[in-house]
Amino acid sequence: MTISSSSFQLIAALVRRETAMVYDAGKEYLVEARLMPLATAAGCPDVEAYIARVRTDLSERRNALDALTINETSWFRDQTPYQAFTDLMLPKLLESRSLTRRLRIWSAACSSGQEAYSIAMLLDQHLPAGWTADILATDVSTAMLARVDAGRYSQVEMNRGLPAATLVRHFARAGTEWEVSPQLKRMVRTQHLNLADAYAFTTVGTFDVVLLRNVLIYFDTPTKYDVLRRMRPHVATDGYLLLGSSETTLDMPPDVAALWSREQLGRVPSLRPAAGVPRTASTHTPTRPFGSSLTTATTTSARIGA
Amino acid sequence: MTLAPALTDVHAIVDQVWTSFLGEVEPLLPADVAPGGPFPAGQAWSAAVSVSGGWDATVTVELSAALAVSLTTTMLGLEGPEAPDDADLADAVGELVNMVGGNLKSLMPGPSALSLPAVAAGRAAHASGATEIACFDGVWAGEPVRVTVHVVTDAPVDLLPQPIS
Amino acid sequence: MRAMIIDDSRAMRSILRRIVAGLEFETLEAGDGQQALDLFESGQVPDLCLVDWNMPVMDGYTFITRVRANKEWRHVTLMTVTTESEQGQIVKALAAGAHEYVIKPFTPDAIVEKLELLGLLPVEALA
Repeated sequence: MTISSSSFQLIAALVRRETAMVYDAGKEYLVEARLMPLATAAGCPDVEAYIARVRTDLSERRNALDALTINETSWFRDQTPYQAFTDLMLPKLLESRSLTRRLRIWSAACSSGQEAYSIAMLLDQHLPAGWTADILATDVSTAMLARVDAGRYSQVEMNRGLPAATLVRHFARAGTEWEVSPQLKRMVRTQHLNLADAYAFTTVGTFDVVLLRNVLIYFDTPTKYDVLRRMRPHVATDGYLLLGSSETTLDMPPDVAALWSREQLGRVPSLRPAAGVPRTASTHTPTRPFGSSLTTATTTSARIGA
Repeated sequence: MTLAPALTDVHAIVDQVWTSFLGEVEPLLPADVAPGGPFPAGQAWSAAVSVSGGWDATVTVELSAALAVSLTTTMLGLEGPEAPDDADLADAVGELVNMVGGNLKSLMPGPSALSLPAVAAGRAAHASGATEIACFDGVWAGEPVRVTVHVVTDAPVDLLPQPIS
Repeated sequence: MRAMIIDDSRAMRSILRRIVAGLEFETLEAGDGQQALDLFESGQVPDLCLVDWNMPVMDGYTFITRVRANKEWRHVTLMTVTTESEQGQIVKALAAGAHEYVIKPFTPDAIVEKLELLGLLPVEALA
């Protein structure tokens, strides 16, 4: 059974409008696999009927969006960024933050939290006594944020890239699942945030390291650039922005490229705030969801000293 | 007092085994089944492992012959007209109960040891002193699968199986 | 590189074989710990073993202990792949000398990522 192309287009448009994630044609099977359990739970005979219901039922729409914005994720995904964090970024930050003894990390698009907790595990191991770390985990999916807060993972998820010795150190069995230690949970806090929302970043603050990995690929091109523009003031002047391995070759338009300088950390490319650029957020083609109107968007394309 | 695993946990474990090896496109759904079971006579495979130590129980998986064939075909990676023989079916169904039983064991008080699986063509038979303490019925691609947990005891059971909503 | 798959289930060996063969490993198979040790002693010493725990004749835990007792086999990477999923069992396997531990059921990605952790992925598979 396959969903009709009109149903697929409807759901793809919905996901795109609300999260700027793109489901291309050919991903019908993925939509179907992710919505099937919801359709069953809602008592719909099939996914087709469920999508019809999503048109009018707002709470069911929320559930569908949550299910469709799940990213498959593993612990210490891709390995090398985490090595670079421990070996290169952390020593520098320990030096430059020796007065405040506090590190701030942002896992943007945290999904079920493996990235945030992987960083927490490294900090637990490498942060000297007397230091504190604050890890902010944000996502567009409230269901995902609830999972991060619960810190519980299935057996299948635990198998994904987590060294066995680390599992034993930081997790305890909780029924069919494993639960992360209270110590790591204390380091991680969650906040609902839609990266595509032009004003989403205003309250988050500034971070020493921002992990924005494997999420830009889901956005259309204007949104990608806009996120990179708006992200700039939220990375400390000597901080780091890490993108996914497939995203770092991204061709940026000149005004965005001028905001960032590329720095290679071993095998990991990072973006660092370019010197001499004022720390002003600029917005471009604001894509505020739910069609609310924007009247006060300021566009200050800073291009000083690129 | 006998400890029984929660039915939702049994379902979760069977579901994990299923999605890991058979893919997520076709979900395993809980099913309501008439007394006597969902299997046509002579058209089933069954396998059991026993857990002994901190928790003593027998975990049994029964599935329709058609389901056993598709499971085995997928696990062995058979292609085209190749059909699994009885030895293949026994092996794959045995590994299935090993995974379900091993994961159920980890939920219960331990330490306990897991036996090697015993597999048979046909329905499972249980000793007269065995009491069923949990039963999960599921359907995958229209074919039935049943997981039961039995204990040999005269003591009262402190958690009776409940239907999954 | 050569991987030895040690599991009493042919279906499970087949699943694991397809995963590691896809990563350019040559594969060897054994149905229990004793068969695997016999292969070792006949000179067929692999770079990696994927070892089940519950097997007839000799279980995976005993096998790991036996391999670790022989200094000539120190270079062999041992990864337990088992349905045993209590925390205590993981600790026990690591203490006996296993490098990694995968709990059944697993997805192919889980095996690949563990091999990456162990530095055993061929360069072309990483690219």
